[in-house]
Amino acid sequence: MLVNAELYVKDLPGQLVDSLTPISMVDGNITAVVHDREQIVNQRICVNVTFEVADNKGLDRLKAIWKSKDVMIARMGSVYETHTMEYMLIGKFSAANVEKLLEEASNVVSLESSDVSYSSKNATSTRTAMITAEVLTPEDLEKLDRFFRSACRESGIVYIRGL
Amino acid sequence: MAGFGTVGQGFAEVLALRKDFIKERYGEDARLVCVMDSSTYAADPDGLDPLELVARKKSTGKVGDVRYQDSVEVMKSVEFDLLVEVSPTDVKTGGAGLKSITFALESKKDVITVNKGPLALKFGELVSLARKNRCKFRFEGSVGGAMPIINLCHENLVGEKIASIRGIFNGTCNYILSKMDNGQTFEQALKEAQQMGYAETDPTNDIEGYDSACKAVILANSVFGRDVTFSDVEITGISSITSEAIALAAANNMVIRLIGEVSPTKLEVSPRLIPKGHPLSIAGTLNAAQIVSDLAGPISISGRGAGRKETASAILSDLIAIMDDRKRT
Ligand SMILES: NC(=O)c1ccc[n+]([C@@H]2O[C@H](COP(=O)([O-])OP(=O)(O)OC[C@H]3O[C@@H](n4cnc5c(N)ncnc54)[C@H](OP(=O)(O)O)[C@@H]3O)[C@@H](O)[C@H]2O)c1
Repeated sequence: MLVNAELYVKDLPGQLVDSLTPISMVDGNITAVVHDREQIVNQRICVNVTFEVADNKGLDRLKAIWKSKDVMIARMGSVYETHTMEYMLIGKFSAANVEKLLEEASNVVSLESSDVSYSSKNATSTRTAMITAEVLTPEDLEKLDRFFRSACRESGIVYIRGL
Repeated sequence: MAGFGTVGQGFAEVLALRKDFIKERYGEDARLVCVMDSSTYAADPDGLDPLELVARKKSTGKVGDVRYQDSVEVMKSVEFDLLVEVSPTDVKTGGAGLKSITFALESKKDVITVNKGPLALKFGELVSLARKNRCKFRFEGSVGGAMPIINLCHENLVGEKIASIRGIFNGTCNYILSKMDNGQTFEQALKEAQQMGYAETDPTNDIEGYDSACKAVILANSVFGRDVTFSDVEITGISSITSEAIALAAANNMVIRLIGEVSPTKLEVSPRLIPKGHPLSIAGTLNAAQIVSDLAGPISISGRGAGRKETASAILSDLIAIMDDRKRT
């Protein structure tokens, strides 16, 4: 699991390293660290770290070690890897149709986010919309592709997806 | 050689150009003993002069003096050990090409072809026939012209597990879409492609994605060992792509390209949104492909997908592979 934690460590030499070594003690893998010397609370400096650990047991062990080393955990949460795909729709439809389509899509997969933009020029009666959708798994992406493909085919809309 | 049009004549010229190379590598010439166009043939067991044939075809419109009805009867009348099949593609029936290739393989002759029709319709049957009769059957130029994709997968990447191939397999569509990137409408871009000689008077095969679909079938069967045919491809062409769609893609830093996608589970030709700068975002008439394999990761190639000498270069590479093989065994 990928985890992001906001830690506060004492502003003393060696404290940064001291707060990070416990991650390797639980076989974790650090993917990003931001050491923010501007953000000081009670003479403690903020360290934002993202790391991978095998499971919750490993995470609990890590929390215990941090506590024993007087590292304050201000915030901790899972970081999800997301998958983004672009869909372009060309045809005769309204913005309300697209909203409805997205609503139906969110019943098929859990949409983390979605964004729609439309072509500015509308010289013909056809319209062009570009949807950017974010989902949690590659399987959801496949499901979303299938959903858009069949929904667009039914409504006579040309559908173009990203790579 | 069956067919003496653009590719056939190009290959004849390449044979003349590489005469010394072949002689040096194999200690003998590659003799062209019979050449057919649609209605005539020329034959000589001692070998025809390739450049004379090209000159004759140019001046008289015919490659030979003898008229014929049935290419199989012509092949029965000459001694040969390899057929280069470069007659027109017919994706509905396989055409004369399918007949000639089948006869050659049944007669235990090696075959090189760039004709997509027989491959897209009867791949499994032809490969089995070649295997049964211990013939070599190669078709590098049928996908991507000069871009070496089939032999790359079969030879250089033989130890890899190939997960997918995605590519631009039709230069005409890519030309039209790149012209649309520069502000032309679909109709204007198609007209220009026709004037430049890239698109046929009837452009259906290209713009509706049928030509790319044939190539996707050839890759699915030859690289992924699938047993699919033209009708199994999910095809969407580019004729409904509007200028607005191109502009909206550009506003999002993307281009639209007609992409063939082949994997153990996918077989599709459709327009796709490609980020600018991606290997498949190339402009112009080039073909391109991205092969993803387990050890090597993504490998990108691009090259000229059509043309007289370019397609002949793919035939030459197949000829050399066959002659090398014969030398070894
Ligand atoms: N052009 C390219 O860049 C390219 C690239 C990749 C693959 N290919 C494939 O290569 C093949 C040849 O293309 P091309 O551009 O050379 O076509 P082309 O210029 O139209 O030439 C076709 C040739 O085949 C001959 N022919 C027609 N019917 C025949 C028959 N029943 N038996 C024997 N020959 C016959 C024609 O005779 P006449 O001269 O009497 O009309 C002509 O010489 C096609 O299958 C094409 O899809 C072409």
